[in-house]
Amino acid sequence: MSEALVHIDQFRMDFGDKTVIRDLSFDVERGETFGFLGSNGSGKTTTIRALLGIYQPTAGTLHIDGKPFRPEDGGRLGYLPEERGLYKKEKVIDVMTYFGRLKGLDRHAAKTWSLEYLERVALADKAGVQLDKLSGGQQQKVQLGVTIMNDPELLILDEPTKGFDPVNRRLLMDIIDGQKTKGATVMMVTHQMEEVERLCDRVILLKNGTAEAYGTIDDIQNQYGGRIVRLKHSGPVPSSPRYTVTVNETNYSELSIADDADEADILRELVAAGVSVRSFTTTKISLEEIFIRVYGDQNRADAAALQMAEA
Amino acid sequence: MAQHNLSTVVTFEFFRTIGKKRFWAGTLAVPFIMAVVFGLLFASNTATDTAANAQKSAEFTISYTDASGLISPGQAAVFGATTAASADEGVAAVQSGSIDAFFDFPADPASDTVKVYGADQGMFENNKYSAVAQAMLTQAVNTRIGSAELSALASTDATIDMKTYRDGVESGGFNSAVPPLFFLVIFYGLIILLGGQMLSSTLEEKENRVTEMILTTLKPTTLISGKVLALFAIGLLQMVIFASPVVIGYLFFREQINIPDLDLKALVFEPAPMITGFLILVGGFALFTNTLVAIGAIMPTVKEAGNYMAVMIALIFIPFYAVSLIFSNPQSLIVQVFTYFPFSAPVTALLRNGLGSLSVVETAIVLAILYIGAVLMFFLAVRLFQYGSISYASKVNIKTALSSGRRIPAATGTTPR
Repeated sequence: MSEALVHIDQFRMDFGDKTVIRDLSFDVERGETFGFLGSNGSGKTTTIRALLGIYQPTAGTLHIDGKPFRPEDGGRLGYLPEERGLYKKEKVIDVMTYFGRLKGLDRHAAKTWSLEYLERVALADKAGVQLDKLSGGQQQKVQLGVTIMNDPELLILDEPTKGFDPVNRRLLMDIIDGQKTKGATVMMVTHQMEEVERLCDRVILLKNGTAEAYGTIDDIQNQYGGRIVRLKHSGPVPSSPRYTVTVNETNYSELSIADDADEADILRELVAAGVSVRSFTTTKISLEEIFIRVYGDQNRADAAALQMAEA
Repeated sequence: MAQHNLSTVVTFEFFRTIGKKRFWAGTLAVPFIMAVVFGLLFASNTATDTAANAQKSAEFTISYTDASGLISPGQAAVFGATTAASADEGVAAVQSGSIDAFFDFPADPASDTVKVYGADQGMFENNKYSAVAQAMLTQAVNTRIGSAELSALASTDATIDMKTYRDGVESGGFNSAVPPLFFLVIFYGLIILLGGQMLSSTLEEKENRVTEMILTTLKPTTLISGKVLALFAIGLLQMVIFASPVVIGYLFFREQINIPDLDLKALVFEPAPMITGFLILVGGFALFTNTLVAIGAIMPTVKEAGNYMAVMIALIFIPFYAVSLIFSNPQSLIVQVFTYFPFSAPVTALLRNGLGSLSVVETAIVLAILYIGAVLMFFLAVRLFQYGSISYASKVNIKTALSSGRRIPAATGTTPR
């Protein structure tokens, strides 16, 4: 088995006397799409910056392809940071050519590639335009182009869809798919859970600087309840070893099904208990629901703390 | 790869600067203004010559009185002047317009004032009266002396040829002082023209949020080296453009625009002061630009950095508060302080180098201060860029940056993302 492309082990990060990441360990395997999830302020961007040498870790190992990242290896990396920006007073083609050259392409190749990319994202007529004359979404497309130039081996995308409308979001995802087809490994920070479910092979959920969950999406869905029943009904839902009631509203409930339980047995049990069932649907728990479940408590605590502070 | 990236950065920074309209507007404004001034000089000189010729050929009526007895009627007649009965009569004749001018020569013209009265013909034209009065007196004195050589000697300074020797070898004097002082002019030009650009150039990465893209693509040392080299090249280009009207004017239009007759052949280019001047220029430029980069790295915006830029500019003018001492007493305390304080050292040392008062030992110390300072400031700038350019919205705490043994965002209260 080949070594993981990204290897993070026992990573700890202190800001002054405050520890924001503690004992974080995970791998990103070659060729996979890896989702790096967490609420705002959970340490995702800090981890990426430490991985890329922008921050020096307090402790731990952060390796790309078996060694710490160096800017000299930047030609093999495509990094789309959360803080977006390019040289706004320069022409689109000049900026793209410049970064292409820094990534190891010669001038002609960089310019040719850039023009082809601009054609693909419907910005061909903007090649000679100053960047700050473009809309935010158009600038995002240019930045994505700079990120994927020279077909990097590793793509690290920090909230790549931020600022995109649905049409361009789809375009962006197609471009990322294209890079994956060419063999790129993708590490992606996003809050768009449906994209994670569609694209990612494995994910990690970061909470308070530690890994709350880590594995394939199936693993995590199973960890947080696996199958669930969405039930429209009248009458109270009884407790049962076959399930756990996770949502209990008037005429609507959600039941988390035990691993060894059968959906048909649950339905029969409900009917036998006098519950009038109008609708019974089984599904897997979505990542979004897991996300809300994991971070909901934290957000409520944050909101309460904020209210207290304001009071 | 590093070499490739350095040349890429230099090329990008150089061409994007000279590719901007505002660069050429600012750069060409200087030679354009100089060309306009030269044109005005040419027009003025032509008008002056025309007026002078008209004055020379103009004839006017003169009367005079001479209490000194130096001027004979025959000599006065050469100028068309006749004797007046009295000063009052002469003045009255001018006032009535019957004559153009009246000169009242006192008994002792060497100590007393010669009084000249004339019909007003404008400020410039009126000068002809005093010129003729002076000519009448000079001619009368020359006649009394009776020797053309003695007259010439009495009326003009003697031509003196002075030779001075340093270490037994003839020194070039004033002609050898001028060439090394060119480096001082170049230093001022580079810092004043490029200082602001250097400051904003590094701030640009921060303000445009390009830092993370850059720091993961090339080393900060490569980026900053590239920026410094590009700015040096831009500075040289600007110097050439600024100098071009002077050179063109001197070579092709010297007579028309009446540039003082500079005999470039007389300038003496002594190797030691020239090499010293060049080394001080390079060291001083490097120290100032690296300092400006460091300032740019810790400031969130160009506006906030502007205050520090003003301080840096002030530092290069401070030595002129002691310029008389730099000329007359270079060993005085204040000149010594200015010579060795890193940010006043380039100007003071370049001045003293031109004037020949910078000893070998002092030169060595100044060069050491400038070059060591520049290197230290370069690494500080790189460190602050690595650390500070990621602090997009706030000013970097230098103490925190320097006290940390490694590049970490150690500022208390920083929010992780």
